[in-house]
Amino acid sequence: MNNAMWKRAISQIALVVAVAGAANFGCYAEGPEYGGAGYSDGDYPPDAYIATADPFYYDGYATYWYGGRWYYRNGGRWNHYNREPGALHAQRLHQAPGRRTYEAHGGRGYAGGHAGHVHGRR
Amino acid sequence: MASLRMTWIVATLLAGAGLPLGCGGSSARNPPANAASAAAADDDPMSGLAEHHRYHHHGGVTLFVAMSLDTLGVAPDQQAAVDKIHSELNALMAPARAAEQALTATLADELAAETFDVEKVNAAVSQVAVAAAAVHAGSADALDELHKLLTPAERAALVDKVAAHWAVWREANAGATDAGNTTDGYLAMDLDLTADQMAKIHTGLGDDMKSSAPLAQQEITAHLAAFSDAFRSETFEAHAINTESHANEHLAGWGAAHMAHFVEVASLVLTPEQRTKLVERLREHASHDAGIQGAL
Repeated sequence: MNNAMWKRAISQIALVVAVAGAANFGCYAEGPEYGGAGYSDGDYPPDAYIATADPFYYDGYATYWYGGRWYYRNGGRWNHYNREPGALHAQRLHQAPGRRTYEAHGGRGYAGGHAGHVHGRR
Repeated sequence: MASLRMTWIVATLLAGAGLPLGCGGSSARNPPANAASAAAADDDPMSGLAEHHRYHHHGGVTLFVAMSLDTLGVAPDQQAAVDKIHSELNALMAPARAAEQALTATLADELAAETFDVEKVNAAVSQVAVAAAAVHAGSADALDELHKLLTPAERAALVDKVAAHWAVWREANAGATDAGNTTDGYLAMDLDLTADQMAKIHTGLGDDMKSSAPLAQQEITAHLAAFSDAFRSETFEAHAINTESHANEHLAGWGAAHMAHFVEVASLVLTPEQRTKLVERLREHASHDAGIQGAL
C-alpha cells in the first residue's frame, strides 16, 4: 500500500469506530471508574446490600450501584450494564447512592458504653 | 482495492469486538435471586442490618415492609406520602415494639443478675407474639395506599427489598445454609466465644428450641411470594392475600423466643466479660429510640 492507500484505510477505520461510538450514544465508555473494582461477572448485590441501599430508577428498573457496576433485577435474575448508561453515570456523579445504617459498627464496638443506633444515610 | 476491502473487514471486526453496540443490560451469568454473593464483603450497613434483625422481630413481615421504605428511593414528590405511610406502619407496630423492648430489658436484667426466671421471660415472649398478631389486619389499608402511590418499578423494588430483609433475618437468626441449624446467626455475634462455648450453646439452644414451634420458613416464604405477586400487579388488595394472617405473629414470636432461649443458654457458659458485653448489647437494643424518624 502506498501512502494514499494507508491514509484512506486509516480514515475508514476511524469512520467505523465513529459509527460504532455513535451507536453507543448515551453510554460512557468503560473506564477505570466503571466495572473496574475487581468484581467478576458472577458478582451481584447480596440481600443485605439490597436492603440497605437506595436504588436509582432507570429504564423501568430499580438499579443499584454495587462493586463499581449498575445492577438491576429482571425476571427474577440480576443483570448488570456492561457499559454505564449516561443517565446513571450523571446521576452517580450528581448524588452518591444512599445507604442506610441500622446499627453502628454492626453491633460491635460496644466498649465504652456507647453503641448508637444510627438511622441515617451516608 | 483488495487491501482496502481487507481494511474494512478488519476495522469492522475490531469495532465489533471493542465497541459492542448498545449499552443495554447484559450479564454473562445470572445467579438466582436472593442468593448472597460469596465475593461480597459485609460493610457496616450490611453487618448492622444483620445485627438489627437479630434483636428486632416485633412487626414480623410488616416490619420488613416498613424497613424497605427506608431505602426505596422514591421521587421527591412521593416522599411525603411514603413517609406518612411509614409513620402509620410504625404506629401500628408500636405495641409490639414496646413488648419487645420489655422482653429485651428483662433478658438484660436476668442475665446481669445471673438468674433466669423462665416464667417471667416466657410471659414477655408471649406479649411480643400477641402484639404482633394485631399488626397484619391493621396494616392492610396502609399497604393498599402504598400500592396506589408507587410506580411499577418502585413496587418491584419494594418486594425485592422485603425478600432481602427476610433472607437477612433468616440468616441472622436461624442460619442460612442449614434450615435445621438454629444457632448460626447468634453464634456469629461478636462475643469472642470459644469453640467449646459455641458447641455448648449450639447443643443447649437446640434442646431448648424443641419446646417452641419450629420456624415455619416455608409458610413465611409462601406468604411473601403471594404478597410479592400481588403487590407487583396493577391492582392490589392486602385483604385478598389468603396465605395467612399469622405470619407476623409467628415470625415475631419465634424470633423473640429464639432470642430468649439464646440468652438463657448462653448465660450458663459466658465468662463475666462476655456476660457484661451481652448485657450492654441487650440494654442498648431495649432502649432503642422509637422517637427517631423511621426507628423500628
